[in-house]
Amino acid sequence: MSQDKDIPLAELRRAQPRFSGFEAGHRACLGCGEALAARLVTESAGPDVVYANATGCLEVFTTAWPESAWRVPWMHSLFANAAAIGAGMEAALKAQGRSTRVIAMGGDGGTFDIGFQALSGMLERGHNVLYVCYDNEAYMNTGIQRSSSTPHAAVTTTSPAGRERMGKRHLKKDIVSIVAAHHIPYAATASVAYPADLRKKVRRALAIDGPTFLHVHTPCPLGWGHDSALTIEIARLAVQTGLFPVIELERGGVAGVMPIREQRPVSDYLRLQNRFRHLFADDVRAREELEHLQALADHNIERYGLRPGHEADPLDTEGADTVKRGGVR
Amino acid sequence: MSVKITRGSFARPGTSLQFDTGSWRIQRPQHRHATAPCHAACPAGEDAQAWLALVEQERFRDAWETLIAANPLPAITGRVCHHPCEAACNRGNYDEPIAIHHVERLIGDMALEEDWPLPPSQTNGDPREVAVVGAGPAGCSAAWHLARSGYRVQLFEALPEAGGLLRSAIPPYRLPAAVVERELHRLLARPGIRFLPGQRLGRDFDLDELQASFAAVFLSIGTQRGRDWSIDGATPSDLHVGLPLLKEWMDVGAIPTWNSVAIVGAGNTAIDLARVLKLSGVPEVHIISHKAIPGPGVAPDDAMPAIRREIEQALEEGVVIHEHRGVQRLILRGEQVIGVELVHMKKLPDAEGRLQRVAFEGTESILHVEQVIPAIGQVVEPEGVQSLLGQRSFFRVDDRGCFPDHPRLFTGGDARGDRGTVSEAIGDGRRAALAIDRLLRQQAGDPPSPAQQPIPAEQLNLNYFETAPRPRVPVLDVARRASFAEIEGPLDTRQALGEGERCLSCGNCMACDNCWTLCPDVAVLKTREVASDGSHYLFDYGYCKGCGLCARECPTGYIVMQPDL
Amino acid sequence: MRQALEGSQAIARAVSLCKPQVVSAYPITPQTHIVENLSRLVADGELECELVSVESEFSAASVALGAVAAGSRAYTASSSQGILLMAEVLFNIAGLRMPLVLTCANRAVSAPLSIWNDQQDSMAVRDAGWIQLYCADNQEAVDTTIQAFRIAEQCELPVMVCVDGFTLTHTLEVLEMPEPEQVDAFLPPFRFARRLDPDKPLSVGTLVSPEYFTETRHDHHQALRDATDIIVQAQQEWLTISGRDSGGLLRQSGPADARTAILTLGSIAGTLEEAMEAHGTGAPARLIVLRAFRPFPDQALRDACQGLERLIVLERALSPGAGGIVGSEVRAALSALDRPPRVFNFAVGLGGRDVPLEIYPRLLDAVDAGRGSDFDILDLDPSKLPAEDA
Repeated sequence: MSQDKDIPLAELRRAQPRFSGFEAGHRACLGCGEALAARLVTESAGPDVVYANATGCLEVFTTAWPESAWRVPWMHSLFANAAAIGAGMEAALKAQGRSTRVIAMGGDGGTFDIGFQALSGMLERGHNVLYVCYDNEAYMNTGIQRSSSTPHAAVTTTSPAGRERMGKRHLKKDIVSIVAAHHIPYAATASVAYPADLRKKVRRALAIDGPTFLHVHTPCPLGWGHDSALTIEIARLAVQTGLFPVIELERGGVAGVMPIREQRPVSDYLRLQNRFRHLFADDVRAREELEHLQALADHNIERYGLRPGHEADPLDTEGADTVKRGGVR
Repeated sequence: MSVKITRGSFARPGTSLQFDTGSWRIQRPQHRHATAPCHAACPAGEDAQAWLALVEQERFRDAWETLIAANPLPAITGRVCHHPCEAACNRGNYDEPIAIHHVERLIGDMALEEDWPLPPSQTNGDPREVAVVGAGPAGCSAAWHLARSGYRVQLFEALPEAGGLLRSAIPPYRLPAAVVERELHRLLARPGIRFLPGQRLGRDFDLDELQASFAAVFLSIGTQRGRDWSIDGATPSDLHVGLPLLKEWMDVGAIPTWNSVAIVGAGNTAIDLARVLKLSGVPEVHIISHKAIPGPGVAPDDAMPAIRREIEQALEEGVVIHEHRGVQRLILRGEQVIGVELVHMKKLPDAEGRLQRVAFEGTESILHVEQVIPAIGQVVEPEGVQSLLGQRSFFRVDDRGCFPDHPRLFTGGDARGDRGTVSEAIGDGRRAALAIDRLLRQQAGDPPSPAQQPIPAEQLNLNYFETAPRPRVPVLDVARRASFAEIEGPLDTRQALGEGERCLSCGNCMACDNCWTLCPDVAVLKTREVASDGSHYLFDYGYCKGCGLCARECPTGYIVMQPDL
Repeated sequence: MRQALEGSQAIARAVSLCKPQVVSAYPITPQTHIVENLSRLVADGELECELVSVESEFSAASVALGAVAAGSRAYTASSSQGILLMAEVLFNIAGLRMPLVLTCANRAVSAPLSIWNDQQDSMAVRDAGWIQLYCADNQEAVDTTIQAFRIAEQCELPVMVCVDGFTLTHTLEVLEMPEPEQVDAFLPPFRFARRLDPDKPLSVGTLVSPEYFTETRHDHHQALRDATDIIVQAQQEWLTISGRDSGGLLRQSGPADARTAILTLGSIAGTLEEAMEAHGTGAPARLIVLRAFRPFPDQALRDACQGLERLIVLERALSPGAGGIVGSEVRAALSALDRPPRVFNFAVGLGGRDVPLEIYPRLLDAVDAGRGSDFDILDLDPSKLPAEDA
């Protein structure tokens, strides 16, 4: 069954009933979580926003000159300076008396690592900038090297598993706590598996005057070694296991969490990804690391109070992705 | 010619559309409508998924019109159907099945209360006439579908009123007479249907006449003759038989009040009669069933064929059911029954592998009762149809209901012998009407079968649904049932809307936007005007990379990936 | 208005007259006084701008870049390590063709650590694709700063105004501060066609394939070459308005018929001019003061060097292992002459070593003695060298 050739797709595309800041024809891999997240962020933020984008996959796959997937004013400068570029944009717009908002964004490398100082400076100075981190937990653009966001025990090309190592030896940096420690009005985590929550958080952040931060978990089929169709499933499991807590922090304090209605064992999440395949070998160290990751998930749940209340919360891990006939979300 | 470079190498917005990422694809998503399990399971051929979708949108009248395209009697079936749709419902794998029959009843009642007229024929009037003999559920269904297709129908009925067993044998606490009256009245008043009561086949007209005068004939004459019943040749002198006794009660409203009764049978007549007796004041009412009370762990073919809800209510009311028992001997004083000897029985395969009832010696027991009433079913009355029936108890016909060697003669409902429910009879009427229509339009081959493989729950993505309890309807207390008032109350409209919302829309796009929301490649376009396949979305294959995310995450299993090399 | 001002203060006021909307900086000696003075002007309400005191020079340059991209006139300043920490951003600003002005308060680059003046820092980023203008004194610094905004915005290229640290930035001089109306007449409000604008959204900072990268580099190179005319033109217009000549691409002084010339850049020019004045018209050499180092004014240089027998290039930086930086470029440019002068090349005044008036005779003596024909450090004291290097 092929579609009718006469359908005016280009016309239809222009008439989509949502704001389109991010266009088709970009060169992201199949099932790219970051592409999806960026699309959702631009859609939610609307047209009156200027973007600063750190070097990384998102920048590369959207802007292979002379083409651009962006329909919003967008600038990429360098790997480390997205937050500073955003700060400069914001200062300029403020000086010009414009209400246009600024979103700075980068991957985990550009946020947790190389761009961390510029981010800290931007937050400390109180710029009216939303910083969005698309976290795919390694340097994917350069070929899957470990970052400070890579989870413990995950395999990357610079944290391989072997006779002496079980993948990354160190823990994933707790970026959102560090960011929140800047006493900013709003810092939150979100996942591509929960688009409605993600959109709400973008809008919430943009409604706040002052620096805000959104940390979005975005699976990378290539880097994590999973089927491209599983991006959402895996992102959802990261939340449902407790490995990626979905939380909101206001002025450093927990202001909201997505409760986990039914906690899934971390192995449900890990076994779908090649980067954790070594943890399922018949090996005493593998079993220990599995337990370690389970303990980390349990710790997150304890720490943020992610256990459900007595009544099912419509915004918990089971309720938050509910769809309705007619697409009301 | 090369592109000219730009100052600082800026790019223009949205120019990535020049890049055809669709060329990367090795598989493509496609919309594929699949049959919902409720639809596949409905004996009457209703697509409950389709009308529940309209209910969810508060389009009750549209829902009703969709429903009656298969079944013109929803207020009736909403009450009496054994609703296999609910047993099949994929939601049963998630929390509880949709209360389909309750919603069906509600919209059926709504149509009666608001006096919605039956929609006109789909085609211009066809001058040809079709005869339908017997105005029970099968006949009424056939008449309705034939009339919808534009034929003129003469509907013959031996009794003064239409309805068959609906009117004569289903107690009012299950199906109030007013509902039957109003729903049938609307149907019979429809232009194109001429109702001829008091016309009995074999007495007032014969089959040859019909076949000569009509383009086609549908025989929905039911089973009007009781089976012979005896135990080792013995029958009590004052034998009462289940169905006639029930009909008598329906007709005159009175029934002998014995002290204790054993009813032999496991079908709806046995249960109905037992309940009527119990509610009329008979202290001890027993049912002797070869089969088991349905419940967890009971194989479907070992369960009593009566509607489970009715069995449960009978037990509530104090009827005693003896499972896996048969009557081995009548205990008589003279020709009066004073009791029965029961024995454990079970169906076991014989030497040829056929299931046979086996009685287990040493399990005999005595039950003292004043009456033994067989309720073991009926057979076709041969009068007027002897030539078709031969030595058999029921008609033998093909799937469409067509008699061998009689291409313009059809049957359906209880007269087929392999039926036993109102909904099956309604389905037979519809199938025969379709077959007659194809025959008269000279369309070759069998009609397209709606019986496609239903979509299993594994092909849905249940993450996107929220658990919600199935609504409960008010039920009359046992103490108040002696009035024979309807036991189950209706759903309210808010509950019905909730059921529409709970429906998983199996295999059918519910326009939830999930594919549109989750496509990383902006390759799903939303539309109301353009998509012709029942969805609100188009795939833009110029950009779709074939990642499979939309198919994986489609809540209703409406998107499938196909190789596209 | 004639005023006695510290160099940094004068520069800050010149910047202020240009009404930047965003100023971003990180403290480093000897740039600090410029930013402190700007901060004071903002605090006193004399300058209305967003002053962004960032956490590093890397961010200082980035904030300025972001501000320009969003359509505001932006300014930053730094020195030495700061310039190097900015280096990645400096290349980026230029490649993106973003007009902004940076004052480099020239300082030596560590190690060893030195907070004092030489020009190693700006020389290290000479290939970043910026216009570089060197100032001989604080009046020139004031005038050049004003011109820099005009040049930057006209060429859509960034301009680095190089001012010797301490020697100029921390020195009190009597100078003429332009009137605001003069600056307003010279410098139109900033209108940036490629501004990031939701109404006409552009994507800036793309990935360019080998198929086009060469052309982008050529285009950038050509833009800098074309900037020579704009630098001259801006100077001419400012001369008309202010009555002051701040040097164009290069300027000359001293006896026009001298067969020897000394070429230098930055504050050494002032020292040499003063020394030459003592000789009156009988000075043995004339002076060529290079103001524009990028774009390199090779044609103007060849014109200036026509008929010279000897050209002595005196600079405040070196490329270790090669020698003079300016000297090498001058030699290359003059090689196109039919009869190029013999070029002598010296570094002097590294890491803040004083360059006294006596430099003038010593330099000529050194050349007469045959030094500098390749490259020498003029004020090297061999007695301080360890035995193995002596």
